[in-house]
Amino acid sequence: MRYVKLPQENFEEFFNSLKRWGKLYAPVKKGDIYSFQNVETLSEITLDYTRTMLPPKKFFVRPKDEMLKLKEGHWEEANGTEPIVLFGVHSCDIHGLEILDKVYLSDPVDPYYKKRRENSIIIGISCMPDEYCFCKSLGTDFAMHGFDLFLHELPDGWLVRVGSVKGHEIAWGSEELFENVTEEDFHHFREFEEKRTNSFKRSLNKEGLADILDLAFDSPVWKKYERICLGCGNCNMVCPTCRCYEVCDLWINAYEAVRVRRYDSCFMETHGLVAGGHNFRPTRLDRFRHRYYCKNYFDPESGFNCVGCGRCDEFCPAKIEHVKVLDEVREGLQ
Amino acid sequence: MTFQTHEARILEVKELTSREKLFTLRFVDPGINRGFKYKPGQFVIVDIRGFGEFPISLCSTPTREGYFQLCVRRVGRMTKHMHTLKEGDIVGIRGPYGNGFPMEKMEGSTLILVAGGLGMAPLRSVLWYALDSGKYEKIYLFYGTKAYEDILFRDEVIHLLKHGEDMNCHVKLAYEVESPSCIYLEKGYSPRVCKGVVTDLFRGESFDVENTYALICGPPVMYKFVIKELLDRKLSPGRIYMTLERRMRCGVGKCGHCIVGTSTSIKYVCKDGPVFTYWDALSTRGLI
Repeated sequence: MRYVKLPQENFEEFFNSLKRWGKLYAPVKKGDIYSFQNVETLSEITLDYTRTMLPPKKFFVRPKDEMLKLKEGHWEEANGTEPIVLFGVHSCDIHGLEILDKVYLSDPVDPYYKKRRENSIIIGISCMPDEYCFCKSLGTDFAMHGFDLFLHELPDGWLVRVGSVKGHEIAWGSEELFENVTEEDFHHFREFEEKRTNSFKRSLNKEGLADILDLAFDSPVWKKYERICLGCGNCNMVCPTCRCYEVCDLWINAYEAVRVRRYDSCFMETHGLVAGGHNFRPTRLDRFRHRYYCKNYFDPESGFNCVGCGRCDEFCPAKIEHVKVLDEVREGLQ
Repeated sequence: MTFQTHEARILEVKELTSREKLFTLRFVDPGINRGFKYKPGQFVIVDIRGFGEFPISLCSTPTREGYFQLCVRRVGRMTKHMHTLKEGDIVGIRGPYGNGFPMEKMEGSTLILVAGGLGMAPLRSVLWYALDSGKYEKIYLFYGTKAYEDILFRDEVIHLLKHGEDMNCHVKLAYEVESPSCIYLEKGYSPRVCKGVVTDLFRGESFDVENTYALICGPPVMYKFVIKELLDRKLSPGRIYMTLERRMRCGVGKCGHCIVGTSTSIKYVCKDGPVFTYWDALSTRGLI
């Protein structure tokens, strides 16, 4: 890894220089929630945010996404993407994007996702956990790749990890703003990380989790939560790794149509419905359990499909807590 | 591009029953037509431009080149639209998708095809592939249908009832609703045609389980009963192949609707299937 230091007095200039590389998006506070928005000045953004409502997936798999345009009976690819800079992405969300990469960039590649990923610059930022975060227990609290630059807070500036050639070019382009990392910076970095590690209030016991969940298929805990869950699908929308989409054709006028995909949720009754009326997941119990199975599927290569960002807990109107559900299922088995 | 569809022209539309039509298609671009290689059990996504897409299994055999066929039941919004199309009309096609049946692995063995209702469509691809290639020891077709009027590919089934034995193809038919036509068939081909369900057709049959594969396709409720018959005869779960249906939007393992299984065994029916063995079903909850 290559490390450089960005002194606090140069931070604003560095931030402004990022606009050269693409449209700049950063976390902005709106009422009680944060969201990634297009920004012009540093004063608009919040650096010590907890989590945005929608994860950065919204830039790559959009809530409503035009794929193809029908013109004179032929499909044309919908127009392309513009370069973007995502500033201030937390490590859990970087891990989330890597899980999406695994799905969308595996053969056959999703062309829309790929183009947007290639046209994006990811600048990570260090964070302090709140009461919902459990990324540490999933190993997603620190990103080793998947970013171009990663900024770690220091008392007098930022320790910057350079994660890609693109990141190096960005730093190189504003070379005069950076300094070498000193022994003292390293000391501060270590101090910050230690403090952070000790600040987690929630943790997931993942010991044998995949098998325990499978064995607990008939657990009464699922049935208990079936009654609590509203089936609204909020957890799917805000999840950085939920990726189900529905496709439909919409007519713009009598001659032109677009093929659009939009987020879908496995909590919707139609998710498992096929033509003829058979539903493969007919009850909310089936659907609730399905989400937990999907999130906690253990892929030997990349781990769980959950990054512990805490969004599904924070934005659940029924106050269902992911870790608590899993712990209860685990206990119910003993 | 992954989601671009290729234009295909409808060469022929044949009414199979009051609900099902058989569409014979060919790609407009001769190059694409030549390059279109598929296996029995695979499926394509049909794109009716401006209305939507739907997945449908290929029911023709790759041994007969130059065209492909889709058997479409009028059951929902898209298939209703498909049924209005005529010869000469254009639809978009992408695919083929899915794993298909392992036809090469099964060469030299006896095949038991068990079809229920519309399940005949993908198995017809296997049937004709096996008959055309001549590389299989014996082929059984056990076909369960509601009524005489619902028999898919009726001409072909009756032809094989008559002459199948010459090709080592043993066809049996079970029907549920009695009608003069069925009774006539039963009179002609008893005991191979009988009133009952598809599992009744196993009666009196024995197989060399070391050299037999079973291929099943039918409505979800059918699998359990057919598999019981096969297991009773000690056919290994690894020799029982089933092709499954799920909601599919992308066909390539992205859209997430067809995900089955649990925390230890997530599978995409479109990409990892739609053909699975019964062993897969034993180790993946929710598959059948």
